[in-house]
Amino acid sequence: MNREEEIDDRGFKRDLLASLPNLRAFAVSLTGRHDKADDLVQDTIMKAWANQSSFTAGTNMRAWLFTILRNEFYSQMRKRGREVQDSDGLFSERFSVHPEQYGRLDLQDFRKALDKLPDDQREAIILVGAAGFAYEEAAAICGCAVGTIKSRVSRARTRLQELLGVSGEGDYGPDPGDAAITARAFGS
Amino acid sequence: MSDDDNRKKDEMTTIQHQELRPGAMPPNASISRKLREFYNAVQEEGIPDRFLELLERLEQAEKNAKSVNAK
Repeated sequence: MNREEEIDDRGFKRDLLASLPNLRAFAVSLTGRHDKADDLVQDTIMKAWANQSSFTAGTNMRAWLFTILRNEFYSQMRKRGREVQDSDGLFSERFSVHPEQYGRLDLQDFRKALDKLPDDQREAIILVGAAGFAYEEAAAICGCAVGTIKSRVSRARTRLQELLGVSGEGDYGPDPGDAAITARAFGS
Repeated sequence: MSDDDNRKKDEMTTIQHQELRPGAMPPNASISRKLREFYNAVQEEGIPDRFLELLERLEQAEKNAKSVNAK
């Protein structure tokens, strides 16, 4: 190995490491479970490593990794078939595994609502609203038109509003401190 | 009107009331904020050791393969 290649290799590993927390958050958002998400991330790392020659240095590694993970997720889902949807039941199972991550009640509700979105809407709103991709990048990752991503994000927002609104637990309301004061003021 | 309908109506009124509260966040801002909070909570867990070990192993395997090829 010559010196230049060695530096390239180190750069690849460094960039991959830097993208991992974000990639993992995407995996958790897609699968809804930490154990499955980590298996998915592991498969993605191995795929990415084996295909590093196909990565063009200087381009967006994060987008490249997200694309690999997403493809992996859907191909595994197709192989296994969609698991029985029981959002609440699944959620309590997840909840018991990692209680420390869902300490805040409003985030638990949010997660449940997110789980109820169709896959295409969920990934669109996560990529654009949380992972920090532009509409164009999200469209490239999902292999669809920019307009499609925009409409999915918009439908996801509307659906989340409905879901969180119907739950009627002050999702749009004041912060928890205010709510506590209000509760005391009304003597409940 | 059934009790159920009444309850729904009450909920809707409550939501509208909250949306119109002065100083309350518009619904989209609230959803975007929660989405980022949820996502950031996972990001902040950092990188599990299993991935660091995996990368070490991959790197080592690659080095071994290259030194064999070089011989």
